[in-house]
Amino acid sequence: MGNRITIPFGSQHVALPEPIRFVFQTENEKIVDVEVDVGYVHRGIEKACMTKFKYTQVGYVVARVCGLCAISHTLGYVTAVERLMNIEVPKKALYLRLLASELDRVHSHLLAMGHLAEVAGYENLFMHTFRDRELVMELQELVTGNRIQFDYVTVGGVNRDLTPEVEKELREKLKILQEKCLWLKDVFENDYTIKLRWKGVGVITPEMAIELNVVGPPARASELATDVRNEFNYLPFKEVGYKLITMKGGDIYARNMVRVEETLNSLDMLFNILDGMPEGDIKVPVKGLPEGEAFVRIEAPRGELFYYVKGSKKMVLDRLRIRVPTFANVPVMKELFIGMDYADVPATVISFDPCLSCTAR
Amino acid sequence: MKDMFIESLKNLFRKPATVKYPLEPSPTPSNYRGLIVYKEELCIFCTKCEMVCPPGAIRFTYNEDGSKEFHYNPYLCIYCGECVRACPKPGCLIQVEETAPSATEEELPNWDDLERKADESKKRWLQARKKKKS
Repeated sequence: MGNRITIPFGSQHVALPEPIRFVFQTENEKIVDVEVDVGYVHRGIEKACMTKFKYTQVGYVVARVCGLCAISHTLGYVTAVERLMNIEVPKKALYLRLLASELDRVHSHLLAMGHLAEVAGYENLFMHTFRDRELVMELQELVTGNRIQFDYVTVGGVNRDLTPEVEKELREKLKILQEKCLWLKDVFENDYTIKLRWKGVGVITPEMAIELNVVGPPARASELATDVRNEFNYLPFKEVGYKLITMKGGDIYARNMVRVEETLNSLDMLFNILDGMPEGDIKVPVKGLPEGEAFVRIEAPRGELFYYVKGSKKMVLDRLRIRVPTFANVPVMKELFIGMDYADVPATVISFDPCLSCTAR
Repeated sequence: MKDMFIESLKNLFRKPATVKYPLEPSPTPSNYRGLIVYKEELCIFCTKCEMVCPPGAIRFTYNEDGSKEFHYNPYLCIYCGECVRACPKPGCLIQVEETAPSATEEELPNWDDLERKADESKKRWLQARKKKKS
């Protein structure tokens, strides 16, 4: 057979939005071995949360773990602390949190879809997706006051109320967005180029998904009915028309289609949230200090996000532990690469929508 | 594929989706979280804003005569508005919809020095208060 060649992929690569490093050992085109390094952007956030910041401030610190799922991180931390301190959050605050979290999911999924089109060489579709994503970013700015770092959720409620003008504009723009997303779905579903490039590439079988503990859209694309929104009651998802979406196939095409369907489901949910917005306070005063330990699971756009919080009646927490969805998906990536053509690697990596600033934090 | 081709042709004759920022103005949208504005005449110097600020962008220095001085670093601020909500005097701290001016080296506050000064002066102030009590 041919010579063994070592190909480094990352940490800086044109196909990668994030610094992950793979070292591939290839025999001609086939990959025979791979090493992964995920620790390029370590910032010591967990340690900072346990030494420098008070528990009321940690919510703002963990929001800086990741720009794309900022709301999920704060939501995870805040839910954990609220369970620890037995705080009952008003219903309206829960609905507003739900609104922000679903807007975040739409923008994150549109980004993933766009990147996936780009690595398939479909620059045109990438531009279209990103242009439509701009609409969601504007809506997020309208609701929370910022495009990426929302700082919307605090312990005990949310920071801002929804005014009637904002609600009206939300409805109008969401309708436009829904039309655009339906058009995008049509393209992603039926385009000949995309089918040719993605069908049957990087297949995760259901058995593999169970064994290697895949989470998020990649798991749901392999017929694994795992979604924390369905299993854990941190927000009232069931009241606003949440649907569990699974696909058959487990290839890149199925993973992308799961994201497309979830985006549309999230948009439906957003309309329902606006229709069923309850009256009441948006925040309750917080008294006391956290004592004991709690863990919560949150469905971030990329999969299951795990937060563990331990406190002992002090302003500063004893321990904060974050496990992010990308970290859970690295083993299956490694498994997939063995025996694959090197040319399929960028599309496979991006189809997991890796978020390395989450993973290394 | 045919749809995409037609759409692409149409796009050739559409207006650009982006704002040509340096040539055209790009105003801050409504509801934007911007700068924190402080009014000294209303302040009661409770230092609650200093205590809640996550990045430590608000610091108080203590003078010899016991009075306090407010300092704010708009380039360290994350504009979360936690200080505005913590302030017991309405109107003393408000959040406006303006961004901070772009920073040049002359305008940047020497924040490291100021933090040191704030810590030291607070220690002196606490000691003086202790002496007075005893």
